[in-house]
Amino acid sequence: MICCKECLDLLYDYIEGELDSETTKSLEEHFEDCPPCISFLNTYKSSTKLCRDTLNQIEIPEGVRDSLLKVLKEQKEEK
Amino acid sequence: MSFSQTKEDKATEEALVRDLQNGNLDAYDKLAEIYQKKIYGLSFHLTRNQMDAQDVTQEVLLTLFRKINMFQGKSAFSSWVYRIAVNASYMKLRSKKKEPNVSIDELMPSFNSAGFQQEKIQDWSENTESLLFTKETRDVINKAVDLLPEKEKVVFLLRDVEGLSSEKAGEILDLTVPAVKSRLHRARLFLRKKLSNYFEEFSSRKAEK
Repeated sequence: MICCKECLDLLYDYIEGELDSETTKSLEEHFEDCPPCISFLNTYKSSTKLCRDTLNQIEIPEGVRDSLLKVLKEQKEEK
Repeated sequence: MSFSQTKEDKATEEALVRDLQNGNLDAYDKLAEIYQKKIYGLSFHLTRNQMDAQDVTQEVLLTLFRKINMFQGKSAFSSWVYRIAVNASYMKLRSKKKEPNVSIDELMPSFNSAGFQQEKIQDWSENTESLLFTKETRDVINKAVDLLPEKEKVVFLLRDVEGLSSEKAGEILDLTVPAVKSRLHRARLFLRKKLSNYFEEFSSRKAEK
C-alpha cells in the first residue's frame, strides 16, 4: 500500500494518464482509503483549471492594440 | 485560448511563414493576428507590467518581420516565437530591481514519518462556481501566479495557460521533459496551496454568517 507522500508524487503522472496500470491501481486503492488525498487531488485539478481560466481572460488593451498596429504598419511601409 | 494546434492549423501556419519568407506582406498580418494576443498575455504574466508587455509584443512582432529568414524550420514556428517572447520578457525583468523570491518549498505538502499527510485537507473544489468571476478571486489567483518563482512560473504559463505540450515547453526553454514536468508539478502544488488558503478562509467566513 502506498503512502500519501508517494500518492502526491504520482499525482501529476496520474492526471496526465502516464502511469502504468499497476501503479494506477495501487494509487486508486489509496484514494479509496484516504479522503484527504481525494480532496488533494480534486483541489489540485481545480486550482489548475481556475488559474488557467483566469489568466486566459486577458485581452490586449485597445490603446496597446492601436499602437502595435501603427508600428507594424510603419514597418511594412519601410520595406 | 489554449494553444493545442491542429494539423490543419500547423499546415496553414507553415504556409504563411513560407509566404512571408517569400516577401508576401499579407502573410505577416495573419501571423501577427495569430500570435499577438498570445505574446501579449505571456509577457504580461511574466513581467506584470502593461508597458513592458507592450514593448515585448512589439519587439517580438518586429523580430518576426525582420528576421523571418532566420527561421529555418528546425523547430516548430510557434516554439521559435515563444522563445523570442520569453527571452524578451526576461530582458525586461533583468533590467529591474529583483524582488526577493518566496521559497516554494515552504508551501509544498508536508508528511509525518510514515508518509501520511500532516495537514487537514479541505475539498473546496465544488464550491468555486459562485466565486469564479468575482474580482477578489481573480486578484487572489493573479497574485498567487505572480508569487511563483520564475522557473516554475514560465513552465506553468507555457504548459497550463498556453496549453503547449511538455515536449514543446522543453524545446522553448531548453529543458528536458522530466524537468518540465517536475517544475509544473511544483507550480501546481504551490498554486493549490495558495488557493486553498483563500477558499478555506472563504468557506469559514461564509459559515460564520
